[in-house]
Amino acid sequence: MPPSIHPVDLIAALRLKHLTPAIVFLTSRRACDEAMESFDHADIVLPPARQEIIAAALDRVIAHYPSVAEHPLIPTVRRIGVAAHHAGHLPSWKIAIEELMRQGCLDAVFATTTLAAGVDFPARTVVITQSSIRKSRDFTDLTIGEVQQIAGRAGRRGKDQVGFAVITPSPYIDLGVLTKGLTGHPESIDSQFTITYPMVLNLLKAHPHEQIQGILAKSFAQFQLNQRAELLERKLDTLHVQMEPYGPRLCSDWITQWQTFDQARRQRPHRQHVKQQESPELTARFHFMTSGRVVGLARGRGIVLRQYRSKGQRNPMISVLRPDGAVTECPAATVAEIFDRAFECDETSAFPWCSAASFDELHYQLTELPTRLPTLPILVPKESDPLPDAIVQSLGDFPCPTCSSRPACQKDVVVASRLRQEQQRHTKSIQALRASLWHRFQERVEVLQKFGYLTPSAHLTDDGEWARLIRIDHSLLITELIRAEAFAGADPALLTGVMASIAHDDDRPGAFPRISTGLSSLLGQVRKLAESLSPYEDPPLLRADIAAVAERWIADPTLTWIGLCRLTTMAEGDIYRLLARTLEFLSQIHTLHGTHPSLADSAAKAIALIRRGVLEELP
Amino acid sequence: MTIDELERLLAQQPVAVLHRLARGRVHRHFRAGKRRLIELLLQHSSQNLAGLESDVQALLAERQGQPQPPPASTRTAHRAPSPPQKRVPHRGGEPESSEPAVSLAGWLEGLGVPAPQPFVPDPWQQEALAALSETDVVVSVPTGSGKTYVAVEAARRAMEDNRTVIYTSPLKALSNTKFTEFSKIFGADKVGILTGDRQENGQAPLLIMTTEILRNLLYDAASGEIDVRLDTLGLVILDESQYIADPERGVVWEETIIFCPSQAKLLLLSASIGNPQDIADWLTSIRQTTSRLVRHSKRTVPLRAGYLHPNGKLAPLFKTAAIPAGHPNHLHPEAKRLFLEYEEETMPSGRSRR
Ligand SMILES: Nc1ncnc2c1ncn2[C@@H]1O[C@H](COP(=O)(O)OP(=O)(O)O)[C@@H](O)[C@H]1O
Ligand SMILES: [Mg+2]
Repeated sequence: MPPSIHPVDLIAALRLKHLTPAIVFLTSRRACDEAMESFDHADIVLPPARQEIIAAALDRVIAHYPSVAEHPLIPTVRRIGVAAHHAGHLPSWKIAIEELMRQGCLDAVFATTTLAAGVDFPARTVVITQSSIRKSRDFTDLTIGEVQQIAGRAGRRGKDQVGFAVITPSPYIDLGVLTKGLTGHPESIDSQFTITYPMVLNLLKAHPHEQIQGILAKSFAQFQLNQRAELLERKLDTLHVQMEPYGPRLCSDWITQWQTFDQARRQRPHRQHVKQQESPELTARFHFMTSGRVVGLARGRGIVLRQYRSKGQRNPMISVLRPDGAVTECPAATVAEIFDRAFECDETSAFPWCSAASFDELHYQLTELPTRLPTLPILVPKESDPLPDAIVQSLGDFPCPTCSSRPACQKDVVVASRLRQEQQRHTKSIQALRASLWHRFQERVEVLQKFGYLTPSAHLTDDGEWARLIRIDHSLLITELIRAEAFAGADPALLTGVMASIAHDDDRPGAFPRISTGLSSLLGQVRKLAESLSPYEDPPLLRADIAAVAERWIADPTLTWIGLCRLTTMAEGDIYRLLARTLEFLSQIHTLHGTHPSLADSAAKAIALIRRGVLEELP
Repeated sequence: MTIDELERLLAQQPVAVLHRLARGRVHRHFRAGKRRLIELLLQHSSQNLAGLESDVQALLAERQGQPQPPPASTRTAHRAPSPPQKRVPHRGGEPESSEPAVSLAGWLEGLGVPAPQPFVPDPWQQEALAALSETDVVVSVPTGSGKTYVAVEAARRAMEDNRTVIYTSPLKALSNTKFTEFSKIFGADKVGILTGDRQENGQAPLLIMTTEILRNLLYDAASGEIDVRLDTLGLVILDESQYIADPERGVVWEETIIFCPSQAKLLLLSASIGNPQDIADWLTSIRQTTSRLVRHSKRTVPLRAGYLHPNGKLAPLFKTAAIPAGHPNHLHPEAKRLFLEYEEETMPSGRSRR
């Protein structure tokens, strides 16, 4: 048996059962293209009347979008009524196919699941062939929300009484993921709020520094942090209740009093053991190494899965999930940094110490973490400082030995101090949850101060005033390049090349045109700067080959779209997206005309040059 | 257990279990498909098959211990020496209900075009529109329910009030589609589109843009550089607002909502999500009025799920024609059988593959 159904058989089967029109979601663009090729010699052609309807509809679209006319898939679309629709195509092609689908001309469209959200056209049937999806660089199982988003395309209101989601297996399928997705409840969504440099500059432009905390508090992120804090507060309340029987005795802070007494009592005979005791700093830090917490170790980062004490020595230990998916056991003392970032973790009592879903989620989160993370400020409690000799010697001064509540204190101290520790831990976590956005904001402020975009009193400097207009990814790199006058005298083609290499974030290899020496040396400079900025901002890929494609388009205004496409193995849709994104970056640079007239002028020229051919077709 | 038995046992497991086993054993296992994953697992544990086996058993025992998959009499059959053909698929742990499974004909029943009907707005659409005259509204309904109608009607009402309307979508491609669609509805002079470097009809009362562009406008307005009439802004529609959970771009939706002028109503249109109430509560906490949540999870056009075998055979996926909400294991016996056959034949050692 073949690992999956042949596209021609699939369409034939769907037609036979009147399940067309259908959207067939496939794993990759390649798969869509190969599916289309398999119709080249297929004999399941449409009757002439329907072919004519398709031809007429296509002609109407072509009148708007001339680039559609030359598309190599047109003969198959006309003959068989099937098409491909994925990110490798030009927007005009996708619009054409969507229009044809809306008019009900086609029997099937092969699309990639990655774009399910961007596919805004319905059909009678959707065909699902996979249960995982490529996200950044890995395949992950589809979420319930995603399965429903895909299946939701089936059944057109007003045109279908029922819709069908048909699963056909491929080697990449886990039926359980799909049945769960179809029958389940969509997942909750979480805030992905981050604090960016342009956000900081724009906030400080419009609001005084002291108001910012209130503005950040309005974010959905803070709303969700507060929800978690409230949960902890409720736990704290129960702890308070549990603490009640251990309330003030003869001395108001009897727990500390007793602990100090007890410690002093034990220290006297075994002074030599004091050194072996855990440092108070480690004890304090250990409180924060709770499951879900991101920590820095000597070799990279990890997420704490559980904390425990080693069997013999009772050393504080943690089990840590590492980026490669391994779980390692580390002494808490080897933890170099504790970050102000913790994830939900559904703990379990056996290896790997959390539920499978949590494990996957944490593993994913771990690989997605930004390179710089704020660390937690941890206060070392005073009370556990080693006792000065004076106190030890004056043990006789403690009231405890003769106190009437001594038996009660001795009995209760274990439970009471555990409760109190838990209380303290919760209180600290609540503080951290409530203040974490503000901490992160402050960190960004410090960086912007260091680079001179903000004054020590957090006002915008002259550079800050214009830098706040650059509101795109890698804004720090771009504004630093501008300040270093890297583009002084650079012609539009060089500027475009650099912006394209900053804008492009795909590492797919391919063949590309040669890069000019001018652009190549400029890119060298950009790379150096990007590297020096890497503690503050993730460096972009800065691919020279990508820069060359964009440079060519600008440098040679006689170059046609087809000519450009022939220079590289990049798909048309990718080139289009690259240039469209570059256009966006350039238009932000163009907003600097007040302070950087010649640079803005160069950007304006580049914009005008980019916008030709297919790049003129859409606003 | 011999290597073949182990391989067969692995093949019966859902991919999620295989990924769990692969952790710490196989590097970058998320890239691998099921068959490849099994190959890799066996390869990497070739020195310690017993270890792998005991881990599989432990995982199985653990899954069995979990409450969601009900006690599976069939699951223990994995270890039984019964012939493999008799096995029931891994997820099939549900107690069989006595009702007979739907037939293919029954499953296909109703297929076709409904009789044309006059357009009558759904109750939830009217509810959303009515609420919008008072306050911000969050709509969370399944894809294809008709959120566009709410957007269009809300925009029409705001424009009749001489208010400006901004409609945002997450993708430029969607913006373009909506630009065409809305121009047809309201007339070309009423609709404009803004992109980073261009404005088409930028003075129109209904402006379409991506959420990033709106965020930038709001920042400019906050620092006193207004170029769009934000003072007459009456309505901001954020379509596909489930994007707020997008790892890279979600922050833009939050910024937009935080800085949306208070005199403008917010209309958040979202596909079904798990916690729409959180979004509504959040809005309530930062805006001046108590926002309204309009949600439902019932699809307007009923959906059925089927299973198409690579040999062209079609079967209902579930025992019932409708999708059994909350019962992923109510599989149709035919689909179950066919899928098992498929998994067996495409296994690494399957005779047909090697
Ligand atoms: N009340 C209604 N009665 C009949 N058809 C409707 C109604 N509301 C919307 N529709 C139709 O439903 C289809 C899907 O609507 P759309 O707004 O695209 O869905 P979505 O919720 O996914 O945005 C459209 O073709 C629309 O005309
Ligand atoms: Mg919609």
